[in-house]
Amino acid sequence: MKKIILLTVIISSILLTACANNKSNEPVTISYMVWGAPEELEVWQTIVDEFQVANPNIKVNVEVSDWDTYWTKLKTLLAANTPPDVFAMDAPLYLDYQSRGVLLNLQPYIDKTSGFLDGFYPVTLEAYKLSDGYYGMPRDFQTIVLFYNKDMFDAAGVAYPTADWTYDDLRAAAKDLTIDIDGDGTIDQYGFSADLWDMELVWSEAIWSWGGEVINADHTKTLIGEPAAREAWQYFYDLMFVDKSMPDANTTGQYGGDLFQAGKVAMTSIGHWAVPGYATVDFKWDVAPMPTSPTGGRATSVNSAGFVVAKESKYPDAAWEFVKYCLSETGQKRLTELGLAIPVLESVANSPVFLNQSMVDINQQVFLDSLAFAKMKPVVKGYDEWAAAIGDGMAPIWLGEAELNPTLDEVVPAADAVLEANK
Amino acid sequence: MEYGLKPLGRERFWLLLLLAPTLIGLIFGAFGSILATIILSFMKWDLLTPPTWAGIENYIALFTNEKFNTALTNTIKFSAMYVPGVVIISMFVAILLNRKIKGVTVFRTIYFLPCVTSAVATALIWNMIYGKDTGILNYVIQHLGGQSICWLCTDKAMMSVVIVNIWGAIGEGMIIFLAGLTAIPREYYEATKVDGANEIQQFFRITIPLVTPSIFFMTLIATINAFQAYDYIYMLTRRSQGDSSVPVVVFSIYRNAWNFFNYGGASAQAIELAIIVIVLMGIYFWMEKRFVVYE
Repeated sequence: MKKIILLTVIISSILLTACANNKSNEPVTISYMVWGAPEELEVWQTIVDEFQVANPNIKVNVEVSDWDTYWTKLKTLLAANTPPDVFAMDAPLYLDYQSRGVLLNLQPYIDKTSGFLDGFYPVTLEAYKLSDGYYGMPRDFQTIVLFYNKDMFDAAGVAYPTADWTYDDLRAAAKDLTIDIDGDGTIDQYGFSADLWDMELVWSEAIWSWGGEVINADHTKTLIGEPAAREAWQYFYDLMFVDKSMPDANTTGQYGGDLFQAGKVAMTSIGHWAVPGYATVDFKWDVAPMPTSPTGGRATSVNSAGFVVAKESKYPDAAWEFVKYCLSETGQKRLTELGLAIPVLESVANSPVFLNQSMVDINQQVFLDSLAFAKMKPVVKGYDEWAAAIGDGMAPIWLGEAELNPTLDEVVPAADAVLEANK
Repeated sequence: MEYGLKPLGRERFWLLLLLAPTLIGLIFGAFGSILATIILSFMKWDLLTPPTWAGIENYIALFTNEKFNTALTNTIKFSAMYVPGVVIISMFVAILLNRKIKGVTVFRTIYFLPCVTSAVATALIWNMIYGKDTGILNYVIQHLGGQSICWLCTDKAMMSVVIVNIWGAIGEGMIIFLAGLTAIPREYYEATKVDGANEIQQFFRITIPLVTPSIFFMTLIATINAFQAYDYIYMLTRRSQGDSSVPVVVFSIYRNAWNFFNYGGASAQAIELAIIVIVLMGIYFWMEKRFVVYE
């Protein structure tokens, strides 16, 4: 027994001194956590291996989990005060973490690296910028564009969407592309479909192009019930229940997955993350910018995923080195190979690595050009709950169980109450 | 009533030693979590900053929380259909399979199969059965000349998920009832037969009274399962971001804890759910004393 105690004392003292004596040349191990599909681990591992060649003293343990598991695991680790040193962040949720003091202010590091922010798309930095600096860095971003099934357009003799399209053109084309192929009274092919729960996929874009807003500047008022916004909502309502060119939520539900990928719908609006999945389909497709509204406005949504460093990290210097490497041209090029997103460095986005991706032959330039009229997906404290108040609240409309305007009248105050509670 | 032999002397030591792993697991795992949940239900906690005392605020909030009340109503409706359904159907199945028929093991295996199959996988199959335009069920209905039914639309979704949950639980219930049925001595049936009782009389006078312990036990288990039901409901009725067309309390607890930074509120919901189950258990045990027959 005495021997065991002695051994424990020796081992723990070795461990303790190892921690205390960490100088820059001592090897350290940092952990990095990110959401993603299992195959993404391979790409991250390549980046880490290349990073370790340049920084032999920093070992990085990467852990990739699916989206839901990621957030549960992350919150548990943060609650236990053992967070990963570096972890991935979705921009809309950034404030929920930053405001609770678990993120490290990266400004001192950015200041030490001259010209570090120069090559970034400015709009991607906007989400992370606070009055006292950056508590996170964007890693890649998404603009929402219109995806269309070329084969369906050809078969119906409808002209492909162009950059001059208005939402009226979209509506007309969607109508022509809605077909009951076998004549049994059930529609087999729909014109347009997009998720109406989350704002990012279509409805924030529409509200902005009609000249409306989603939320006010100081995040105290939800503006989706204002007159301009109501016109945008009405547009989707008409598509769904007047033209029946957009499937309602009950119809969408029975396919379980993505209707565009399933070859059930001619057009959808989604981000670059859908590209690897769509690259596996056996029909031809391409992308076009989001249309302009009847009032002449045009907008799309831009959202980014990023890196943050835990405030409790024991090795913030090593963590920053890793973040810096991933945001360098070499790191960004590797990340672009995943094909899931657009690199935040302008030089990489405009290079063949992004523009000529081998996985699929589409007009990648559309994703970059969309930035010209893109608005940032709101970064709001209490985002999940606020988005749920809107998404859950509006859901009965898309199920055909509630009217548009009375529902909006209920949803707006409910969403405002969430904003008030999360102030 | 006392069962078995009393452990003596050294036996007692070994008994405790062998039970220790389970007991320690229970103390830290189950009781520890229960205690933590009770304490947290009186706190305001977002998981990231230290919890602060909130008194009964979280409980008061439950009364005004519309989403929680919808969820609670759904859970109660679900249980009211599920519990009798499972008990009656699995008893019926067990009685059918408690006789010497050819291939009885095959049938028993088939009924038990859903219990050992991944709920996610079977729920996907049920999705294909229930689909409005693509489902097998509507295909059959249409060929019989009926109208397509939207099985998973809001008005029918509750009934549809209850059916799937009952289907998934029959196997477990069947095992419990089979155990109860095989324990009934054959002499009772033979003796009553001599006295001129028919099969229906035998069923109501012998079988039912003597399986009341199984009915009691199964009702207990089914009630607990009903209040915790999640996987099939989630897979069949989920919408985006953890929403569902039949949100039950478990959905609400999960979302509040993990999506809405409201761990305290989620704990209060869990405690309220536990209290409801405890009250029901109290009623069941009271009824056990009056109606359950032990030989």
